[in-house]
Order: sequence, then C-alpha cells, then structure tokens
Amino acid sequence: MKGRFALLALALSACADPEGGFDASKPVVVDEAPAELLSSYNLFAWSPEAGFEFNDRVVPYDLNMPLFSDYALKQRAVYLPEGTAATFEPEKALEFPVGTVLVKNFYFAADLRAPEANRKLIETRLLIRRDKGWDALPYVWDEDQQDARLAPSGEVRPISFTDREGLPRVASYLVPQRNQCQGCHAIKDDDGKVVMTPIGPKARNLNRDHDYGGATGKVNQLEHLASLGKLDGLPPVESIVPSYDFSLIEEHGLEAVPAEKLEAAARDYLDVNCAHCHNPRGVQGITSQLFLDKATQDTFHLGYCKRPGSAGAGTGGLRYDIVPGDPDASILVYRAETEEVGAMMPLLGRSVTHTSGVALLRAWVGAMPPVDCN
Amino acid sequence: MLHTVGMLNHNRRQKSSFKIAPALWAASLLAGCGGESTTPPDPGFANHSCNEIETECVQIAGGDTQALLDATNALEPGTTLILGAGTFALENGITIRNADGTHLIGQGIDQTTLDFGPATAQVNGVDVIGDDFLIQDLTVLDSPKDGVRVEASKGVVFRRIRTTWTNAADKTNGAYGIYPVKSSDVLVEDSRAENASDAGLYVGQSRNVIVRNNVITGNVAGLEIENTQYADVYGNLAENNTAGIVVFDLPGNPIIGHDVRLRDNTIRNNNLANFSPGGTVSMIPAGTGTFAMASRRVEITGNVYENNQTGDIALISGLVVDSDPSVWELTEAEIVGDWQGLGLMPGAAPSSIMNFRTENVVVAGNSHTNSGTHPDTSRDLGLLLAILYGSHPIDAVIYDAIGESSIDATDIAKNSNDNHICIGGNSDGSFAILDLGTQMGAPGSPFLKNATAPLAHFSCTELTGGPVAAVSLASAN
Repeated sequence: MKGRFALLALALSACADPEGGFDASKPVVVDEAPAELLSSYNLFAWSPEAGFEFNDRVVPYDLNMPLFSDYALKQRAVYLPEGTAATFEPEKALEFPVGTVLVKNFYFAADLRAPEANRKLIETRLLIRRDKGWDALPYVWDEDQQDARLAPSGEVRPISFTDREGLPRVASYLVPQRNQCQGCHAIKDDDGKVVMTPIGPKARNLNRDHDYGGATGKVNQLEHLASLGKLDGLPPVESIVPSYDFSLIEEHGLEAVPAEKLEAAARDYLDVNCAHCHNPRGVQGITSQLFLDKATQDTFHLGYCKRPGSAGAGTGGLRYDIVPGDPDASILVYRAETEEVGAMMPLLGRSVTHTSGVALLRAWVGAMPPVDCN
Repeated sequence: MLHTVGMLNHNRRQKSSFKIAPALWAASLLAGCGGESTTPPDPGFANHSCNEIETECVQIAGGDTQALLDATNALEPGTTLILGAGTFALENGITIRNADGTHLIGQGIDQTTLDFGPATAQVNGVDVIGDDFLIQDLTVLDSPKDGVRVEASKGVVFRRIRTTWTNAADKTNGAYGIYPVKSSDVLVEDSRAENASDAGLYVGQSRNVIVRNNVITGNVAGLEIENTQYADVYGNLAENNTAGIVVFDLPGNPIIGHDVRLRDNTIRNNNLANFSPGGTVSMIPAGTGTFAMASRRVEITGNVYENNQTGDIALISGLVVDSDPSVWELTEAEIVGDWQGLGLMPGAAPSSIMNFRTENVVVAGNSHTNSGTHPDTSRDLGLLLAILYGSHPIDAVIYDAIGESSIDATDIAKNSNDNHICIGGNSDGSFAILDLGTQMGAPGSPFLKNATAPLAHFSCTELTGGPVAAVSLASAN
C-alpha cells in the first residue's frame, strides 16, 4: 500500500506528499482541481482505533437533527480559509466564504450500541465553496483505512451491522455519484437558477453544545465559531430556536418527546430528511406539490388530505399524503417506512427503515385531530 | 491532470474515457475523437462513432460501465458520448447534471443496452437535468424507477430509444419509461415504450412538446400528457396497454394544461389487465382508448380506435377523480405559464381559478371499430358502464356532462354545452351524455345514449381562444 502511495505521490505533483503524513499544524490545501487523494487536503487524520484528529484550522461540529443515511455514523467539520468568516443566516444554511470546505465522514460500527468499536470509515464527502458555487466531491476509503480516493462514479456497497435495538440489518449503502450529489443539494435561487447548497449547517441545527476538549471544553457551536472569528452577525443564541435534538429520541425513545414538542420534532425531522427536495424551491420535489420545509404552513402543501402528484407505486395503495389522525392511511408515513424500491423516500441515501424516525412521524400524524379526507 | 489519475486507476476503472488523453494513450484507451480520427473502424461503433461528431466526443466501449460512469460524472457541457454495441450492467443510475448539450448515443435500439437490473439503489435509469439533451439509439432495461427521466430542461430529444422491463405486466416494474417533466421544447420520436407499471411515455408539466411515431405497448397507461401546454401527439401506435393515450391535469399543480392535439394515432387492443401497484392510474379500467380529464383546448382527431373493450374516448371532469373542488383551486399568483384567455372557471377565493373542468374539446374524424364490448368491471368506471349499457356496446365517445347547466336524457337539443364539447364526423362514432354526476350517486339513472350526428350544438368546432395551436419547437437537436 505504501508503495502505491509513493507511486501516486510521484505522479501527482499537485498533491501534497502523503508520505509526510498528517500534520495538524500545517495548512489545509485546497486547489482548484479536485485532489485525487483525500489526504492531500490535510484536513484530518483517521484511524479506526483513535478516531478523527483534525487540522488546527478545521472545526468539528454536530447537528441537532441529522439526515438519516442508512444508520451511517457521521462526523462533520468545517474549514474556513484564514481571515474569512461565514455570515449568519436566520433560515438558510450559513453563508460561507469562497474556499470553505465542509467535511462529512460516513462510517459504520459493527454494533451501533457500541459506536466507538469496530469502526470503518466508508466515505468522506467534501463540499467546497468555489467562486462559481459549491462543488461536491465524494471520496471512498480504502479497505485498509489508510486514505480515500476521489470516486466521482460512486459505489454501492452491502453493509451489515447491528442496530440500536440489537437487530441485524443489511443496507445497500450508496456512495453517490458526483452528479447525484445534486439530487439533494440543488435548489433554485431567487432568479430560478439551479444552484448547489449545503443542507445541514443552518443556525437552528448548529445551535447546540459541542465538546471541543482542551481548554475550550463544551461550548455552544455557534458561539465557538463566532469566538474564533469564523462567524459574523450571530445574534444571541438564545434567540435561535434550536432544531429538535434527535439524539434524545435515539437514546431514550419516543417517550423522551413531550407532547407539546412532538409537532416541532416531526417538522424538524421532515425539514432535514425531506425538505431538500420537498420545498417550493426544490428542483425535483416540486412535482409532488408536497412541501415539508419548516416554513411551509398551509395544510394542503403539507399533505393534509392531499392526493399525491404522480407517486405511482409510491402510494402503497393509499389515497392521501397525510390523513390526520391515521398514520397507517398516510402515504408520507408509508413512503418513509417502506423498503420497497420505487416507493421509499428519500429517493437516495436510504435502503433500510429508520425505525425511530418513522416512529416519530407516526406519533405526529397519529396525534393530529382526525379528519375524514373522503 | 485528470487523465493521469485515470491511468493510475487503470485497475479499478478498467478503462479511461477522459478525453484529454495524450496521443500515446489515445490509441489504446480511446477511439479517436474530434480530430484524432485515424483509428481503424471499430465493429463496436459500426452505426455511430465520434468520427461523425465535430464537437467534443467520447467513445465508450460496449459494456464498459465504469468508463461510462466516469465519463458522465466528469462531463463538460456540449459533449457527445457514443456508446458501443453491447450491454452495460449498472448497479446505480446514470445521472447527468451541469452539462448542457450532452448527447448520449448508442449503436441502435437492439445494439446498445443500459441494463439496470443489477441496481439495488432506487434510481432512475438515466436521470438528467440539462438543456439541449439528446438520447438516441439505445435500450434502457429494468430501471428501478423511471427509465429515462429528463427534468427541468429546455430542448430535449428522445429518438429511437426503447424503455422496457424484462417481465411483462409486472407491478414491480418501474413507473415511467420515457419521462420528460417540467421541460420545454421536447421531441420524442421513433421510440418504443414498453411494460411500465404506470405510464410508458409520460410527458409531465412541460411546454412545447412533439410526440410522434412511437410504439407504446404493454404499459398500464400507454401515453400520458399531464399538465402540459402545447403538445402535438401524432403517428403513434398505442396497443395492448390498459389505457392507450390520455390527457389530464392533476389537482394542485400550478401549470394549466392546454392546447393538446392527439391526431392520426392508432389506439387499439388496449385491454391489458391493470397491473399498477397503486396511485390514480390504478383506477383506470382495462380497455380504455383515450380519456381527457381536467383538460382544455384538446383536439382528438383522425385517430383510429379499434377493439378497446371498455370504450374509445371519455371526456371527464377532474371532479370524477377528486370531488373536492378546493383541491383544483389555484390563485393567479401561483399559476406557472400562460392561462389567460382560457375561460377558466373562477375559484372561490379572490383572483383564483378552478381547473377541474374538461372544456373546449374537439373530437372529430376518428374511426371506431368494435370497441366497448366488454368493459372491465374490476374498476368503478368500467363497472358503471357495464351497469348502464348491459349487453350493448358502449358508445365510442362518452361525455360525463359534469358542470353542464342542463342535462336531458331524452332530447339532445335540451342539453346545454357550457363546456364547449364538439363531437362530429367520427366514423361509426356514437356519442353518449352520461350525466355522471347523477350516476355516481344513483348508478343506472337515465342518460342520453347513442346519439348520432349531427349533434346540433355539439357539432361545433369553435373553441374559446380559437383553434388548438400548432406546436413548433425552439430547438431541435
């Protein structure tokens, strides 16, 4: 393996020398052309035993409400070039400067009840902010976990693991093609032009504590970024309603959600897992006229007693997107739950049922005052 | 620099398709393209090769799936990909983005096959967003979802392609075969759409569309025109589907479909048992030739209808599918595309309209043979027709008359024609006014059947807004 890296290093003059290894104190390297090897960026080091070690200029973060991706464990981080800062946005993702790299690692543990043991990093996705907009780059990790290489054509990989309930699961895990990144990250801007956008790093989703270790310790992520000079315009974080912390449901079950928070938790789940397509500025999702973004309030577009657009097999024989009070009659619940190809939602990134996520949606629809849509 | 990477990844990627390869590699890795045309003729590229393409072009050997995916994920705008003869086995879809002017050309419908049978991810076969896209001379087989979906694109050509699934009448087949949606200036010609569990050839929410000389068989719905403006559908054969060729608007969609011509098509033997796994299409009785639902400014002319056992042509209100008028209401502000001058019914809210009516329809000059003899009683509408007609054949053209101010079961002259339904000159084409609004509550109520031409005020040709417009495409690849 080392020999192969040496050969590559010789051939790829534009890349950093991986023989030199990761050095957290050296700069992050972001060239205009995508690097073939992930190590070339000098963003972080990884080993299954020790986990992630980040460059001093890279800030790790978590999200309150993460996107479900077949139970993949995720580790996120952001790099902003020296002397630059992101700008606060109240609704959308933070506005990041040119040169920003958003890092998202997808890894699995053999048993999700012990997520630190027997870990394997599958892929690292980079979103790089260029002059012209965001560039999405998928990197797939080698079998021996030494480095990841650019994989624009993606991969489908069967992955077996034990879920949090102790049940054996097998996912057909999809490393998306470069072009498939747009399936979730494309949105229409104010002029109707299709542009790429990050999904996760919205202020409400970042508004939580993170343990940075060392002298910093556990502090609010947004305030931490601001204190580093990496976030401008941040209002008092108390004024930003955080997205529901899904880890509470994962750890304590649905009972952890108080009745008065059920609606908000479900809407946050839909906002993150569905609204990248199902929003009025979506490219593909608008065909359905089902809008699940947090801002949508009218019940027709939220799916109440709404017939589907052209769902075809996706209806499961049901008639309405949501039948208030009746989750079993609601297409939205069916499509979020089923593992039928051609019916399940989201379109990409899920091959197995997200048990706790579906339980949340069921509870939400079940708690609505019943309506006879017929 | 990318070509270096491709070379070093030779083992994994099998074959590089990056077009900026140094001449040394070009001979072994690439067939010469765009100026490097010294390579001898390759039998895998007998019908099309980069030699005939003057712009950027990459040849991909038949079956080299990795090279195909590498190429589609590194596309520069304006590139032609020529696929060699053979079968590409695909575990994932082919996705094309950020590359206007992409052309994907095989060696022929029976020569080059994109086989998505191995795909486990729920993807469309070929999934495109990009202007001036062309797909030609190949077959798309066994897609998990749609065969070829082209979305939000301007200038789209489907030519001599086939979308199909191995198993006939299998509800696990993908939904749509050829599927342009939210696109404009679309041409679908000389293609075959087979075995889709929803619609073989589905044009959705598009504008300026020509669909001609295609063969559409073995699908639930053969050819569908949905929420589409300015579509000309001619010279097609729709045979052995559950329903042949249909036109409709969906409730809540902000595009008001109008100006659709179905002319000179052959629509016969569409008696395939409905095998859709669900959705609105599952309501369609087998043996349906054509229906227009929630549609306006539609011409159905010069078509040959034969042996569609439930019936040839039905003109029905959107309220038959969804009886709640409010779901058909749109505010003027949310409507996309033109709609003024269509005489649309005002909605309940200020500055809003309803689009459930089927109105301003011409049905003329069609021929009808041996249809309506065995309605499909497994579906509500077929059952109703069986009740109404007993052992008599169902009339060739049936009109639900929903929304008419006056309906009389004995005297056609006493019927209003508020919806401007024009029927006439159809060979062996009898006409019935079903009064479906009454029938749905009281099946078997009297209705006006087997009216023969001339049909007084139904023999009109004048539509609100003048004749249905001809269609011309802004660009044709």
